[in-house]
Amino acid sequence: MEFNGLHTRTDILIVGAGAGGLLAALSAKRNGPRGTRVTLVDSWMIGRTGHSAFSNAWTIVALPDDDIDGIMREIVAGNDGIADQVLVRQTLIDSYDRLRDFEAIGMTFPRNEDGSYARRPTRGLDLARVMHPDGGGLEFCWHLRRALENEGVELIDRLFVTGLMRDDDGRVTGAVGINSRTGEFRVISAKATIVSTNAITFRSGFVRDITGTGTLLAYRAGATLRNAEFSYVRPGTPKFYFEGITFAIQEGAHWINAKGEQFMRSYDPDWGDQADVPTIARAMAQEKQKGNVPLYLDMSPIPEGMRDYFIRSKVKWMDYFFRKLGDEAKTDMFGKTPYYALNQMTKMGVRTGPDCRSDVPGLLVAGLAQAGAANHFAGFHIGLCVGNGWIAGRSAVEDLDSARAPAPDLRAVQALHDETLRPLKPNAQAESDRILRDLQQIMFAYDVGILKRGDRLEQALVKVTALAQQFEAVAAPHVHELVRLKETEAMLLAARLILGASLYRTESRLSHFREDYEKRNDADWLCWVDVTDADNAPVFSKTPIPLPYCGVDAVPKGGPRRLRGQSSGAGAETSDLGVPGV
Amino acid sequence: MIEHIELEKCTGCGVCDIVCPADVIHMEPAPDVKPVPGLRLTNLLPVIRFREHCVTCFNCEIFCPERIVDVHPSVKNRPRPW
Repeated sequence: MEFNGLHTRTDILIVGAGAGGLLAALSAKRNGPRGTRVTLVDSWMIGRTGHSAFSNAWTIVALPDDDIDGIMREIVAGNDGIADQVLVRQTLIDSYDRLRDFEAIGMTFPRNEDGSYARRPTRGLDLARVMHPDGGGLEFCWHLRRALENEGVELIDRLFVTGLMRDDDGRVTGAVGINSRTGEFRVISAKATIVSTNAITFRSGFVRDITGTGTLLAYRAGATLRNAEFSYVRPGTPKFYFEGITFAIQEGAHWINAKGEQFMRSYDPDWGDQADVPTIARAMAQEKQKGNVPLYLDMSPIPEGMRDYFIRSKVKWMDYFFRKLGDEAKTDMFGKTPYYALNQMTKMGVRTGPDCRSDVPGLLVAGLAQAGAANHFAGFHIGLCVGNGWIAGRSAVEDLDSARAPAPDLRAVQALHDETLRPLKPNAQAESDRILRDLQQIMFAYDVGILKRGDRLEQALVKVTALAQQFEAVAAPHVHELVRLKETEAMLLAARLILGASLYRTESRLSHFREDYEKRNDADWLCWVDVTDADNAPVFSKTPIPLPYCGVDAVPKGGPRRLRGQSSGAGAETSDLGVPGV
Repeated sequence: MIEHIELEKCTGCGVCDIVCPADVIHMEPAPDVKPVPGLRLTNLLPVIRFREHCVTCFNCEIFCPERIVDVHPSVKNRPRPW
């Protein structure tokens, strides 16, 4: 296949411009010696895309007087132990410095009348407090884009990365990709490459352009993946995305089934409706299994005066969303719309040390592409991305001295070029959407994705493998479809790893619930499940989780009981008991 | 999902295309402008090329300086597990 395109040489390449990638770029530039070349690429427009841009940008910030070790202990407990304690602790320690960095580049944060930061607790954590910048995620990402421009970071929009380059020693030496509009091929040689492309999704979350393909590119380049058996499954509705369920419950809303029963009481007598997200998702699936659907969030106990609060949002797109829906939004939200448990994103990331270096030389990982924790806490998604992004950028700078300037291996580049563009056939039918729908049907089935059992997982694996074989013949008539095809290809691989890891972990923990192994088993499974590619076959293994600072149950999971049933006060932005949406 | 762009009020600035995170809107030559032989027209107008892939993020509507883009809030292609 004829070969031509662009070639860029840089010191540090960052792939993906969500919170993790933006912070990695800022860190690399600020920690690096003068003249360090930093290049940040994204499939779409940097600052206007990524999971962070469409969020409130709630983030955990530990102020100087906060109990950092206490917060770390409750995060570890809330994760059922699935956390890198060193990384989590360092993220918390660094969070105040990052807040100061954010303010220095022009972000502002809501404050109380006395001038203190307006902070709120987050579900399941007692000590942690979260805050968001004015304007939410869009302002967060835009301020960071402007800061990177001012610092001299090279920003490349619309570069969809399709492969990582390696030299003869296996070291990652940069990436190749295509312009996501024109298809123009581009090679970027780098001494260090940071992948920050989120965890893989199946286009189901509230930001359905996020597909997290970078983790699979890392896997193919020799990196080990971790936490594939965990996922973030949350209550969803057919017509709208509601950020604020936790808050609604604190104000009196209840989960009810088709019989009108408040079913959460029987699944979690202590916490009931205020149980954590994996427990609610599991209970919803069990209600489905019993034939008690549809399920509803009964919002009728919420006072009329507070209802408007629920349809206001710091997220600009949600503000438009509810405003334009008008009465329909209120009817749906406060009437009877069915809810179900929907997989929003996986928790599979790349295994790294707390320094964010992967096992592959030259490859570092940041954001949710890094397997630092498997949590579902609002505020700690972006909090962790901010933390590990900064650490990854600093580690990459430290590696520059020992890294030689890479020269692209033309044969390897040719192979990656051909692999990238081979499916492009002008007369082909666009079929990746059909394959994706079939894949979603398999992976989102409540008795596969939430209530897992060995035989059903095996059956799902057979179906996904057959789908992947069918996919091999699929081609793309244009670049738009080629990008989607590559994303679907990554999802098919991810699905096999998720099912394999789910079979491998024969216990129940966090969001991973096995009907045939119902109990958490710390004696055998206080471990990460890792998966590595060996000649196109996944090899699963256990890695014991180090506990340098605390045990798994150092604090009770789910936070203190004193929070139960307390109200946050109507629309009280500055209340210390309001909880951001999860 | 994106519904409509009022092309008669569009200045062709291209912001809606640039900020779209799903490659839905493409700037293309206006169909009613006769090309001058030998010259490539730079005046482009937005076309909703891949409506079915709109993620209802509202970016195009939020950032359109003329406020002529209309996104309907209903999420029509949201997957359902049961």
